[in-house]
Amino acid sequence: MTTQADTPLWEFVDISKAYPGVLANDKVCIRLMPGSIHGLLGENGCGKSTMIKTLSGVQQPDSGTILHNGRPVVIADPQAARDFGIATVFQEFSIVPTLSVGENIYLGNMPRSRFGIVNWRKIHADAAAVLAEMNVDIPTEAIAGSLSVGEQQLVEIAKAVAINAKMIILDEPTAALGEDEIERLHQLLRAMRKRGTAILYVSHRLDEVERIVDEVTILRNGRVVRASGETEINVAQIVSAMVGEDIGEHYPKEQNASDEVVFEARGIATRAGVAETSFSLRKGEVLGLGGVLGSGRTEIARAIFGTDELTAGELVLNGAPVRFRREIDAIEAGIALVPENRKYDGLFFNFRASGNITAASLGGLSRFGVLNLRAEERATHDLIRDLEISTQAEEKTVNFLSGGNQQKIVIARWLFSNAQILILDEPTQGIDIGAKIAVYKLINQLTRAGKSIILISSDHDELLAMSDRIAVVQHGAVRRIVPASELGHDDLVRASADPAETPKEEAFA
Amino acid sequence: MKRVFDTQLIGPFAAMVIVAVIVALTTDRFLNPGNLSNLFLQVSIVALIAIGATVVIFAAGIDLSAGSMVALLTMILAQMLKFMGIPLVLAIPLILVVGGVFGLVLGLITAYGRIPSFITTLAALIALRGLALTFNNGSPIFSLDPALEPIFYGKIAGIPMPAFYLLFFYGLAAFTMNFTKLGREIYAVGGNPAAAVLTGINVKKVQTITFVVAGFMTAVGAILMSARLNSGSPNYGQTLELQAIAAAVVGGASLAGGRGNILATFMGAMTIVIVQNGLNLNAAPSSVQNIVLGLIILLAVGIDMWRAEISTLMARILGRGKGAEAAPRRKEA
Repeated sequence: MTTQADTPLWEFVDISKAYPGVLANDKVCIRLMPGSIHGLLGENGCGKSTMIKTLSGVQQPDSGTILHNGRPVVIADPQAARDFGIATVFQEFSIVPTLSVGENIYLGNMPRSRFGIVNWRKIHADAAAVLAEMNVDIPTEAIAGSLSVGEQQLVEIAKAVAINAKMIILDEPTAALGEDEIERLHQLLRAMRKRGTAILYVSHRLDEVERIVDEVTILRNGRVVRASGETEINVAQIVSAMVGEDIGEHYPKEQNASDEVVFEARGIATRAGVAETSFSLRKGEVLGLGGVLGSGRTEIARAIFGTDELTAGELVLNGAPVRFRREIDAIEAGIALVPENRKYDGLFFNFRASGNITAASLGGLSRFGVLNLRAEERATHDLIRDLEISTQAEEKTVNFLSGGNQQKIVIARWLFSNAQILILDEPTQGIDIGAKIAVYKLINQLTRAGKSIILISSDHDELLAMSDRIAVVQHGAVRRIVPASELGHDDLVRASADPAETPKEEAFA
Repeated sequence: MKRVFDTQLIGPFAAMVIVAVIVALTTDRFLNPGNLSNLFLQVSIVALIAIGATVVIFAAGIDLSAGSMVALLTMILAQMLKFMGIPLVLAIPLILVVGGVFGLVLGLITAYGRIPSFITTLAALIALRGLALTFNNGSPIFSLDPALEPIFYGKIAGIPMPAFYLLFFYGLAAFTMNFTKLGREIYAVGGNPAAAVLTGINVKKVQTITFVVAGFMTAVGAILMSARLNSGSPNYGQTLELQAIAAAVVGGASLAGGRGNILATFMGAMTIVIVQNGLNLNAAPSSVQNIVLGLIILLAVGIDMWRAEISTLMARILGRGKGAEAAPRRKEA
């Protein structure tokens, strides 16, 4: 199913691009065939984004040749890329949330009459045709901002279909999608492949890559370490090629759970949608919360953390009932929340590592309101060393750090506060494989020290591998709890899916 | 260690020195001792009010009420001294309390009423000026108390009194912002309120406190204003809030919150007052002064907004290897 023609649609030969002080792309070669899905993989900072920018005309390479159907061309700017039939779906969508779906699809090239009046009827008719062709059922009059993230993603792709793109670049297309939305996206991509579109698929999620990609190119430090054309996709090989060493076990799970129950939720409910649910957490255990987007996992976390008020039930910590009226109560009781979106509500980008790490423990760090800055620096230094965080974090504000380093800093905050129970909401989302493994090792280290973890993850493989027990969440309540070893990937998908209802988006997605 | 005197001070300090050199070169009388001490007296009121304005900005708020509040507080002080027979030693702490309470109310409305501070304090800007006019039929009150003037004009060991106030309040503010839990919480709330909530910081309380500080510092400014002119007037303090905000911004405080150095605000205030002084000495009309103040604010905010581009440019000029990365701060929410 891969090749329809022997000439590549696009061939990028020896593309190099340097930024001040760093060679971001070093003689990178990529061949993109029509009717083929090409995976572009690599850790953060390996040069993927640089490559995407070059392909979509955002910047010019310093050297190298670009061949279109065998003929050398220059992609001068994004408009030129569009004229060549290249469409790029960036990670941060370029959807205008206040405009309708139809307007978004034709934004920038709206059909107009001679007098410059927009032909609305044509816009909506054409947009409807495009969506129908994609087999997507979204009304063209719908306001884009009211759609779910997954639907917005589809609108973004519809823009590419509308300009009749011959090549489409997808940068981390599934980062914000739920399992069945991913499946829908993949179906669409397969259909586009069949029609001869070349697709460049950039992703961190290796399980997906395995499912959909025909061939891969792997970058490390700006160089190609595994070239296109090798059609056999093997996750273990990909991982070691990306990281540059054989990392052995992808999920280094340790069994540290004991029988001692440290925390219990008894019939808790909140107005945000937690529906009289009960579960218990043991010392040293990783309890995985499985379920689709919108099933209520994040809401359960908020209920435990004192963010949402309980309308029923109670929380029991070390055998004694506790009542958290606000977050600080939960924090002082030794509960920590690493939120799903570290950029939105995890990090202080105006602080260096120190300010971020101590933010939840300022009371303990101060006497009569005066901070012990020396203790802060010492603790930060130690945590940076122990968690192998980039030492730049000591001097620079955290916006300069990679996603993996940022995530470690958010977790370090709760090591410093000496939390006993950590709720990790999507802790490895958007970080590269090396950093993911570091987070897994950190989870081991925590449970070994007798701390307990509630893990929320949409990556089913990760959830199954790293949890001791899995609590399947549906409609705001834990339906059943099973040992992770007794569940397979398919069981989890089936158990958490509810065919009767289409999942709603999580309020804080 | 968080440094009190860090690199954030270099830019505002350079701006102040450059402006001073330009004015000194173009204006003979600028360096006269008389003019310099006058300059110092002139900056003191703006610079003290700017402490409050800056602290509010650090927590990602804005306070537009200061100018009108100064007018109202001078009228209340005049009323106390002239018509109510309240002695000065009692009237001054009372005014400080009243200023703090005004700030508290504005803070509570903003934080707990969830009304943006821009609106809350804009409403106060209009309403407090109106309230000031209700005293004494809207006329100024003169000759309040002979003991009032030394508060502004007095000297200890030849050093004018306002220098001590500046030293005290800027010292206190710098200590609070850099070395205390409260200061850290203010920066945290301004940097990322959502994250602050999840780290157990009482965001609404911290926001409210910043407005109490602003109200209190405005009261300090109002007392000096009354002392300087030995009077109270509903017309005092026009555009003072804008000068205070301009001082903060010229000093490098980010209007998005969370970033800046309180000591730089003093340099920002100095920069503005030196420019005004230069225009004054060259007999520029007040219309020109307003135009220049407007341009300074625009330029300062521009520098804040184009910070990433500027630092990239600087890095290129200085020939350092790495291009400074653009900070992903602006949210397109």
